[in-house]
Amino acid sequence: MIWSLIVKATVETGYMVGVALVLSALVGIPLGILLVITAPRHIKPLPLLHRVLSVVINVGRSLPFIILLVAIIPFTRWLVGTSIGTAGAIVPLTISAIPFMARVVESALLEIDWGVIEAAQAMGGSTRQIIAKVLIPEAVPGLVLGVTMVAVSLISYSAMAGAVGGGGLGDLAIRYGYQRFRGDIMFWTVLVLVVIVQGLQSFGGWLAAKLNHR
Amino acid sequence: MDTTQKACVRSDQKRGYKMPPVMIELEKVTKIYGQGEKRVVALADVSLKVKKGEIFGIIGLSGAGKSTLIRCINKLEEPQSGTIRLDGQEITKLKGKELRAARRKIGMIFQHFNLLSSRTVDRNIAFPLEIAGVNPKEREERVRSLMDLVGLADKTHAYPSELSGGQKQRVGIARALANNPEVLLCDEATSSLDPETTKSILRLLQDVNRRFGLTIVLITHQMEVIKEICDTVAVIDEGRIVEEGPVVELFAHPRSLAARRFMKGVLHTEIPRETRERAVLGSPQERWGQRVRISFIGEVAGKPIISSMIRQYNVDVNILYANLDFIKNTPFGSIIVEVTGDKDKIEAALAFLTAQGLKLEVL
Repeated sequence: MIWSLIVKATVETGYMVGVALVLSALVGIPLGILLVITAPRHIKPLPLLHRVLSVVINVGRSLPFIILLVAIIPFTRWLVGTSIGTAGAIVPLTISAIPFMARVVESALLEIDWGVIEAAQAMGGSTRQIIAKVLIPEAVPGLVLGVTMVAVSLISYSAMAGAVGGGGLGDLAIRYGYQRFRGDIMFWTVLVLVVIVQGLQSFGGWLAAKLNHR
Repeated sequence: MDTTQKACVRSDQKRGYKMPPVMIELEKVTKIYGQGEKRVVALADVSLKVKKGEIFGIIGLSGAGKSTLIRCINKLEEPQSGTIRLDGQEITKLKGKELRAARRKIGMIFQHFNLLSSRTVDRNIAFPLEIAGVNPKEREERVRSLMDLVGLADKTHAYPSELSGGQKQRVGIARALANNPEVLLCDEATSSLDPETTKSILRLLQDVNRRFGLTIVLITHQMEVIKEICDTVAVIDEGRIVEEGPVVELFAHPRSLAARRFMKGVLHTEIPRETRERAVLGSPQERWGQRVRISFIGEVAGKPIISSMIRQYNVDVNILYANLDFIKNTPFGSIIVEVTGDKDKIEAALAFLTAQGLKLEVL
């Protein structure tokens, strides 16, 4: 009984976090790249766009997740038809992860030695070629670590989503562990969360190191 | 001006036109960074001509503007005013697609190599070919021949982090040559290498210069590099070209202060302090003596001029210091001697040396 609850909740968390991670990466990575290349003195300086993107991303980053969660309920309902359950949780999770992802991508891309980018420019590389052949491949280790970081915070956000009936491990811990005084469920949920986060972080670190040839 | 003179001028101009065609021409290039109080003039009215097939060196201290200068040639830096022409094409006017196409014909190597850390040696060399859209089959053939050229055929699948500095620069050179450029720009290419590796990289550059008739422009702060491989040199100081000409000429008659400063490190034309003091103590006071520095360059180095002078003028010569060096295969040296004997004979002897094409400097 307790195990089936935990397994079900773990699957839900995995689903929410997984989908939100993929969706936020699809939007956040291009956004982060755009943010970097439009900066003054980078490969495609567009100062105005850069400023706008930066402000928008900061606004997104400064909203506490729990506020975002309730604030966008109408939007969530419009988009997926419901504001509760796993589907309802994915929307705010994704939206909050996008600016985070963009900043993470930014810092990974800024790690690249400028000389390498300059060399590609000197060879006559176009903006598109430099993005595809220099910026992304050279930033891969940093991107892997960054995405790991986003995944870990999505797990913790997903627990908050539990508060609005989002399901998953956080939901389980609050409803059973806290509200029904089931200390055992609380204990196991926390343990599973720790193991997942630990495993994810180790895997991310290992993969980044393996891909790093610097 | 009479007609013969006019004809003469005209034929000179004609010859100048045909003889060594100009590959790169900078005309009054000015580059300023920053504004107001932070304004820095990196290049002030710089004009230069680089001939096709030569190795042109630009020497200057850090901050002299040489890095900016070389970056203007492929428009990595955009000057505020002035024009830069490369093989007749005005680089300064190019934008977008045209600029990228022009850049593909200009190879560049860097002090810190700037290789892609995520790619192995062969993929790094393939990189500019991918950019230029060369088809895979041709690309792989080209990569293989370039790896042979730079002597790295056994490092095909190594990552840059597994290579030594010299090997990295060899990859850099192979990469720069991939699209068969007409010009190679070298941005302090040997500055982070040890002297031995520097020599081997310079030899490789000289080799590609000769084999492919490649025009090379290099910037450096090392006079050794200029001496070793350059044909022509320009000395840059505070954003201005203070001296320009054949390297041999610069070594023989450095005119600018900046050039002399650079020369000091390479040529030991100063009398070592020990010999100077010893000579003073040892010179007989009662006899007339003259201390002279004799500089010689080229063929005269092979002639026994000093001994002829001793025999013909009956003077005594005490050699205090001598040094022979080679500037790109041209012997160049200086001797400091103390000539003693009768005053008239010394004067005649020194006149004889001057007549032989030696440069004298009475110390």
